[in-house]
Amino acid sequence: MDHQITHNPSFALLEVNIQPGELLVAEAGSMVAKDSHVGMEVKMNAGAKAGFFDKVKAFFIAFVRKIIGGESFFVNHFSAAQPGRVWVAPTLIGQVAHKKLGGGSFVMSSGAFVASMGDVDMKMKFGGLKSLFSKEGLFMLEVSGTGDVWFNSYGGIEEIEVNGTYILDNGHLVGYEGQLEYSLKKAGGGFISSMTSGEGIVLEFSGQGKIYMQSRNIPSFVGWVANMLP
Amino acid sequence: MNFNVMYRPSGAMAQVQLEGGEQLLAEAGAMIGMSPNMNMETQAKGGVGAGLKRMFSGESFFQNTFTAMNGPGEVLVAHSLPGDIVSIEVPQSALMIQSSSFIASHMGVTTSAKVGGFKTFFAGEGLFALRSEASGPGQQVLVGAFGGITEMQCDGNLVIDTGHLVAWDAGLTYKTQKSASGWLASFLSGEGLVCQFEGQGRVWIQSRNPREYGTLIGRQLPPA
Repeated sequence: MDHQITHNPSFALLEVNIQPGELLVAEAGSMVAKDSHVGMEVKMNAGAKAGFFDKVKAFFIAFVRKIIGGESFFVNHFSAAQPGRVWVAPTLIGQVAHKKLGGGSFVMSSGAFVASMGDVDMKMKFGGLKSLFSKEGLFMLEVSGTGDVWFNSYGGIEEIEVNGTYILDNGHLVGYEGQLEYSLKKAGGGFISSMTSGEGIVLEFSGQGKIYMQSRNIPSFVGWVANMLP
Repeated sequence: MNFNVMYRPSGAMAQVQLEGGEQLLAEAGAMIGMSPNMNMETQAKGGVGAGLKRMFSGESFFQNTFTAMNGPGEVLVAHSLPGDIVSIEVPQSALMIQSSSFIASHMGVTTSAKVGGFKTFFAGEGLFALRSEASGPGQQVLVGAFGGITEMQCDGNLVIDTGHLVAWDAGLTYKTQKSASGWLASFLSGEGLVCQFEGQGRVWIQSRNPREYGTLIGRQLPPA
């Protein structure tokens, strides 16, 4: 496998050259182009090691999400008997970044997953209220194993090395390494100052590892557009 | 005539330099700026019929002709969406352009709406594709897109998501088809319909799908 990302940071396009025997897993709907001989198969995003119950749960969620909208829990599997190319791109205006997984896990906010290759297992992580209030969606996607992962953002992606604690505004999280933990906090000291600062709720990460943040957030943009509508 | 594209790929603008007497044909509303010796004339090129056909294809009824009077001049043109612009030399075998991508061309290029029929209708690209033909070599068109533009070589076979198509050499044969073998798989795969190209030639794609982006943002807006 070799890959190339062009048009970063605003309109990233990922090109992956697949060798025989390799399998590229990509977010449903993200394919831009492919060589005709590259096969595509739609699969449910439940993870290879998921049990029966997990699969039923995943299918139910996947189907509901597909109907009501939101990120898809279906993925497409690309493979080829002879070397072939696949181009994929996310929907949002932003960057695509590449990360090598070396046994650890990586958690992405909803919609950040673009593609993966290698011995990578995927599972949905129910974030609960914490995840909902952090504006990262109710579910996050956790990938683990060894291989390659590509993920996207709204805006540019900044990598931050955390050693101790780090504060991130909600809506700006793209992903974080699994050994990190986060909790929600008010941005300012009191409730009033927290609300008036325009920052509201923030995420406080602790531990050692990397977090990836995006330079723009969708709710802010949508709010601005909504104000412009007649 | 010389095209110079700046601010690629997110906010591209084309600076067109014309010798005295040279003319540029541009989509209505594409002009951003021009030197004072440029003469702009608005017309429905090809008559009312051609104008109407253009309008249905998502282009404008009227087009503007810019002429450099008494010496060289320049015109700046751009596309309405955030994204890229490229200039393409129209080959002898003609060039196909996705209807909303056309920005401007040499006067020697004739661009007409081609009824795509059900095929393009289902492909979600609107009813029309445009066909540009050049009166001779060296004639160029400017095309704009949502996202970055990448030129691809179709060497035998290539599959492109219809929402990402910008332009292709007319010498290529193409058909739209389901992305997967069954309708349910096509729907779940999220790819819907794709364009299957065959032959030897170039295909230009845009790295973002405007309809998908619009749907994603639109869904989050408050109901009107």
